[in-house]
Amino acid sequence: MLSKLRTLCLKGIDGREVSAEVYIASGLPAYTVVGLPDAAVKEAKDRVVAAVRNSGFDFPAKRITVNLAPAEIKKAGTHFDLPIALGVIAAAGGLGKEPPARLGETFFIGELALDGALRPVAGVLPMLLALKGVGRTAVVPAGNSAEAAVSGVECLAASSLKDVAAWVAGTGELGPCQGAPAAAAQVQARDLSEVKGQAFAKRALEIAAAGFHNIILVGPPGAGKSMLAKRFGALLPPMTFDETLETTKLYSVTGLCAAGRLVSERPFREPHHTISDAALIGGGSSPRPGEVSLAHNGVLFLDEFPEFSRPAIEALREPLEACKVTVSRVKESVAYPARFLLVAAMNPCPCGYLGHPTRECSCTPIQVHKYRAKVSGPILDRIDLQVQLSAVKYADWEALPRGESTATVAARVLRAKELQRRRFGGAKANAFMAGAELRRHCALPDGASAVLETAMNRLGFSARSLDKILKISRTIADLEGAPAISREHLVEAVQYRMLDKAALAAV
Amino acid sequence: MGAGAEEEKLARLRLNFFACHRSDWLLRLMAVYGGAAELLKRPKAELCAESGVMPETIERLAVQTAAADPEAELRRAELAGVSVFTVLDEGYPELLKTIYDPPLVLYVRGELKPLPAAAIVGTRKATAYGLRTAARLAGELAGAGAAVASGLARGIDTAAHQAAVDAGGVTWAALGTGLNVIYPAENKRLAERIVEKGGALISEFPLDSWPAPANFPRRNRVVSGLSLATVVVEGGFESGALITARFALEQGREVLAVPGPLDSPVSRGPNFYIKNGAYLAENGEDIIACFPPERMFGLKPSAARRERAPSAPALSGLSPDALDAYKAIAAEADGLNADELTLKLAWPVQRAAAALFELEITSLLLSRNGRYCRAV
Repeated sequence: MLSKLRTLCLKGIDGREVSAEVYIASGLPAYTVVGLPDAAVKEAKDRVVAAVRNSGFDFPAKRITVNLAPAEIKKAGTHFDLPIALGVIAAAGGLGKEPPARLGETFFIGELALDGALRPVAGVLPMLLALKGVGRTAVVPAGNSAEAAVSGVECLAASSLKDVAAWVAGTGELGPCQGAPAAAAQVQARDLSEVKGQAFAKRALEIAAAGFHNIILVGPPGAGKSMLAKRFGALLPPMTFDETLETTKLYSVTGLCAAGRLVSERPFREPHHTISDAALIGGGSSPRPGEVSLAHNGVLFLDEFPEFSRPAIEALREPLEACKVTVSRVKESVAYPARFLLVAAMNPCPCGYLGHPTRECSCTPIQVHKYRAKVSGPILDRIDLQVQLSAVKYADWEALPRGESTATVAARVLRAKELQRRRFGGAKANAFMAGAELRRHCALPDGASAVLETAMNRLGFSARSLDKILKISRTIADLEGAPAISREHLVEAVQYRMLDKAALAAV
Repeated sequence: MGAGAEEEKLARLRLNFFACHRSDWLLRLMAVYGGAAELLKRPKAELCAESGVMPETIERLAVQTAAADPEAELRRAELAGVSVFTVLDEGYPELLKTIYDPPLVLYVRGELKPLPAAAIVGTRKATAYGLRTAARLAGELAGAGAAVASGLARGIDTAAHQAAVDAGGVTWAALGTGLNVIYPAENKRLAERIVEKGGALISEFPLDSWPAPANFPRRNRVVSGLSLATVVVEGGFESGALITARFALEQGREVLAVPGPLDSPVSRGPNFYIKNGAYLAENGEDIIACFPPERMFGLKPSAARRERAPSAPALSGLSPDALDAYKAIAAEADGLNADELTLKLAWPVQRAAAALFELEITSLLLSRNGRYCRAV
């Protein structure tokens, strides 16, 4: 007997339709899965046998062949359990002589427990999104119900193999997937006003949030780099629905979709500096998204930036340039989106105290040079804002003003974002301007070219950093709601390129 | 120069290829044998017995001097425009001859004018205050007509040479490397300017010597040995600047020190010297006042007295905001960073940024590691 069912699999973060065929022939008892399955799919056998029998059906002691087509896509994951089990039951005649119509028309996803219960699986949302517009129904584990409801595809939630079999046979009912109750609006636990002083760094973060500029914070230990970075995400404008969906897909593929909720807050990822390049970028023998992709549409915070391994730092080049990463392996090559805002933090020197008002730096100039050289070059070229933080003396710290709250700054950022939306007609931000666009939107006011000339001649800026200054100026103008860049905007922008200043080189 | 003298010079050049931490026993041996040429002819055992140094050292001496090619070294020096002096030659600085262990050979690029000199020395990790003060003292000395000696290292040394050159004066840099190797490399341009302005680069090490750590304390005795007085601007207790000052005392020269804040680690050295009786160097005149009277002739210390504050015209061109920012920064001993400036003046970031930009492109401010200090 032969049965045919539909299910789905993932290629990268996109779902693909898969057809599962089960054929039972007489012969010595055997069970074979073909169609490029990975280890987890082959293991399905033991779960399927137990689940089928514990659900009150017969698992025939015959020659069983399972084929997952198309055969050229690698099949990974445990969600093939349900279609395989149903296929076996149907092929063994457990659902009646003729398989019911529902069996061949519905898409089934789910992992089985040995008692026949359905367990939630990773990647439900991206798989279901492949069914958008197809007009078919899907059956998913009840544990994925909330995630499935988001997809906009007609979905039924099931809690056991028995229920699914009853629904297919027309003797039972399955409920539709219910969306999770909206997460309670998160109380903003961390506010920008808690960071005292550091006016320049705060302003630079505001600019970074408004124009999606990457930023590097340079300062001694305890200056507040991490504190500021952790409060940075809340400055970004709220995610659009499309952005939410994109990011949730990545979380779903990785199995990080907590309680099936949408990732509606901008992600904030802060991997430790010992992270491998594969974990940062994405990889593995069956590729999965790395930290850069989990930070998609959000913030990637790399503390102690020069301590990251050279390969890890170099690997950031592709996502920073193309906003995606391509993970190529022998068997397949997948692309994950990775449009994140990089917030890097570093000390001014290996010991951290160069330029500290009271502590002496114990580094030699060569050490400082080597330390800085780790982040120079192609990566630094992709970081628009470079700001210096300084240690705050305790006596001063007590008296420091608290500064603006997150809400105040975020409101300005939102306004600047709106201006950019009108300018580019999409989600594009100032940071991604290049070539002709840059010249069109960043026309220099009269007399301002003298500012740039001075920056080059007196402060040792390169021609490349002038482009950055223009982009930053554009964002500063947007924050003010100014249609054109003025001299003041340019002059302020120059302050956010501290690593460029030749004067900084240790005398 | 007779054939004997020529031979003796080559022998001394050859002997100078032997790298050692201290050379006093070599000088003593030379005195015993009446010259380097004779010394090099003696059997190793005899040298060993006579000097009392380890046989291994004598072995090294034999190997290294045998491998040397003094004639080639002289030819290469000539090509590079370097004069080579031994104590026997005219042109070897008189003052340097009087120290305990004068260099066997002195390589000089440029001209060692017979000027009274003062050494300005200090740490490589100087503060803005130290750099500013070193520059002012060196500028005043150079302006008064004295030579400024130092070691071409980063920090205070560089500031002193730079200021002397900028004042159009004479400055001498004693190197811890051979003259074909300028260290640190970023001072190559400065080294050229020193020679252009009538100063000199001086080294006792063979032309291609690398910056071995042991060379630098030896170099320091030349810095103080060329000078009538040594001024310690900044330096912790482990600093090479204090080695120079100690050499100066051993050589019977004056030591002056620039007072600094009690809590500044790099002012511990100079403050210690002042406590123990060193003169306090407030300006160029103070330094010149320590010279022996006969060497003061022709110096014009008061003429070179530098303004303590920028001249009115330099400030009059500033916008009101920039002037306020300058005053705020100049009022602080160790300067302000951008954040502190916004706090002190209660200005928004934009306003402070504009004022800083205006100041940065003048020469009124020094910017180091994010802190701004007054430059004069």
